[in-house]
Amino acid sequence: MKKTCIHCGEEVKNINDNFCCNGCSAAYEIVGKFGFENYYKIREINSKERKIKPEEENLDITEFIIKKDDYFEVNLMVQGLHCAACIWLIEGILKRQENVILARINLSKKTLLLRWKKDVMLGNNLVSLINEIGYKLLPFDLEILEKEEKKYDNSILKALAVAGFGVGNIMLMSFSLWFVDVEKMGIETRNLLHFFSSLIALPIIIYAARPFFSSAYKSLRAGFPNMDLAIAIAIFLACVVSILETFRSAHHVYFDSAVMLIFFLLIGRYLDLRARKKAFAIATEFSLLAASFGRVEEDKKIRILPIKDLQKGMILLVAPGEKIAADGVVISGESEIDMSLINGEVIPKKIILGNEVFAGTINLSSAIRVRIIKASQDSLLSQIIALSENVESKKNHYIRIADRLAKFYLPAVHILAFATFLFWFKNGWEEALMNATAVLIITCPCALALAVPIVQTIAISNFIKKGILVKNGEALEKINEISTIVFDKTGSLTVGKPRLVRVVGVEDNEKEFYLHLAASMATHSKHPLSISLAKSYKGDLIDLKVKEYQGLGLEAVFEDEIVRLGRAQFCKAKAISRDNGNLLCFMKFKNKEIIFTFEDEIKSDSKQVIERLKVLDKRIILLSGDIKNNVEIVAKELGITEFYFEKNPLEKLQFLEELKNKNEKFMMVGDGLNDAPALTLADVSISFNNAVDISQNVADIVIQGQKLYPIIDLIKSAKKSIFLMKQNLLIALVYNLIAVPFAVMGLVVPLIAAIAMSSSSLLVLFNSLRMNRQ
Amino acid sequence: MSVLIFLIPITLGLGLIGLGCFLWSLKSKQYEDLEGAANRILFDD
Repeated sequence: MKKTCIHCGEEVKNINDNFCCNGCSAAYEIVGKFGFENYYKIREINSKERKIKPEEENLDITEFIIKKDDYFEVNLMVQGLHCAACIWLIEGILKRQENVILARINLSKKTLLLRWKKDVMLGNNLVSLINEIGYKLLPFDLEILEKEEKKYDNSILKALAVAGFGVGNIMLMSFSLWFVDVEKMGIETRNLLHFFSSLIALPIIIYAARPFFSSAYKSLRAGFPNMDLAIAIAIFLACVVSILETFRSAHHVYFDSAVMLIFFLLIGRYLDLRARKKAFAIATEFSLLAASFGRVEEDKKIRILPIKDLQKGMILLVAPGEKIAADGVVISGESEIDMSLINGEVIPKKIILGNEVFAGTINLSSAIRVRIIKASQDSLLSQIIALSENVESKKNHYIRIADRLAKFYLPAVHILAFATFLFWFKNGWEEALMNATAVLIITCPCALALAVPIVQTIAISNFIKKGILVKNGEALEKINEISTIVFDKTGSLTVGKPRLVRVVGVEDNEKEFYLHLAASMATHSKHPLSISLAKSYKGDLIDLKVKEYQGLGLEAVFEDEIVRLGRAQFCKAKAISRDNGNLLCFMKFKNKEIIFTFEDEIKSDSKQVIERLKVLDKRIILLSGDIKNNVEIVAKELGITEFYFEKNPLEKLQFLEELKNKNEKFMMVGDGLNDAPALTLADVSISFNNAVDISQNVADIVIQGQKLYPIIDLIKSAKKSIFLMKQNLLIALVYNLIAVPFAVMGLVVPLIAAIAMSSSSLLVLFNSLRMNRQ
Repeated sequence: MSVLIFLIPITLGLGLIGLGCFLWSLKSKQYEDLEGAANRILFDD
């Protein structure tokens, strides 16, 4: 039976140990010391989250501490929050520390607000305490987050609350107006009720209908009349007519209809906002804050600076495994750099003194010092971000399904209302205006405006449960029109990490032994090939003293013989040939020469997904920055006939522009920095949660995890949601067609308007709920 | 029916108090972390 670590739940190598490492055992002690043993009983580990495993890392958060009147404050992102017990543990332990005033976790945003008094330096101790338990805390700039969140502020919810208050109170009066005869009530009472209705309705309409008025104004200026224009006109006219009628002490006022309309529409808006906000909150966790700072050496001291404050000439320290924060030149140390996110190449690039390195790449084998040659705003990364922003304006303007309908619907409705006005004019302009307004209220696209957002909201929430973050609702509609899908290779179709595929040089029965030995050595190194090699052997490893030669390989002594693992010349191997562009690793032991061959592993479901897409009649293109040979192998394996290689970001973009000029609607799937501009241009763009930040930011959809299958899910669900949207629109239209003749005839009193409006909205809502059925 | 002149403003006043409370709770960020609030209720201390 497998035994797992008490603290982090990872498999333990030695059956006698309770912990997988010293870090975990220390963490267990800390938890016990503060009296939180119950934590292990009540927590539930979520396999999607980061493991609760301590990392040896001393983070200096001083730069991020904000000084308030008599206390200090810092905002931190928490990685590894699995369940409520994690909040309980972290907050509990922090609150038990001296001088801590506040420790509050926001589980939706996965942030921690920490306040303490007296000593600034206490901040670092508190952070490292939590790091020692195994949660990863990263400081972040609150301003950046707040700027992003402004897009999802609460103004809609406020407007909704105000409109809700209005609907409820106006209805109190409307009910008596609808159901009690004037003779019984008396004209004075009716006038009084009308007066109070207008008193409630007017301020509420002015406040709560602002989103519609401003959107209508914008659409008018842009020359694309949208649904909101019809809504704004209907609300405005209903108001004007009702005020006139109140003054005339006439029969009917439409204040209730107008406020109810606003209320229903705001519900649709709010649902839509909430779904997108949730997707945003999940997306922020990994995109906004990862590696947002760099360690800089200044007068022999190390400071942690936010990336935006990095300046030309500063000396940047980059530890192995760390992301390089700025473009620069290596001034000491030798290492290997993982460039795969920049150019799609899986083979790490060796760098020595004087070589240039780029922001966003990952330093693999050993610590280096880099002199920054470009301030962060001029770095390659920033240039690509700027390029993506430029592309944004070239993007196809997409007219959403509801707005496309509005183009025909609006003129028809307004002509009809005008005709009604002319028809009744003989009875006096007041009655004519009243009936024309009734037509507008009845045809007001309330259900139409709900038809799309409700389906969209349900679809987006369902996707979140499956680990697909749809950040842009339009994308759902656009997916249906996609004819071409463009894939990036590394990280999209493949895992982007090497995998051991062959062991050559020894008899089959000896392979196990050599693999065992090699894995035992490899576990001491952070090189991607070592990591892969160490993973390919399952079982107890041999305890060895291993020495690493930077950029060359590993050396150890086993059974009194020297073993070497690494590059061909380091192992003095005779066979130096490259195997089809694959990665090779050599081992020399007792005159035996063993070659380990690695390949960039194709994702387990890539082949299946490509086949399904072909069945769905999609054109599939592979567009990679990697060398010809590697691209060819993957294309052949997956059965992709159209493939392009060695494309830089600009060439990728040009390729897609050509596609766009041919009026192809295309989806782009990519994860690298080199894909970002292309992702921006694509009609629908998909990225992964281990992709570079910029790709995740520009992508419409971010898939959590390595699987490619969600693409099929997306296409299927999008088809269903469009079907439901269209059906909803049809229901709303049919409803209007039935009600309109009555309105034209002047038969629609406010009661009928209210019933028609709410029942059609409910029908649309219930129809949308079918989205939940599989 | 003249009692309506008092009753309606009272109704509205009560409604406004409710609305005010909601807007206040919104402003004091009580809706910022609904997920956390749902879980926190289970803690002992």
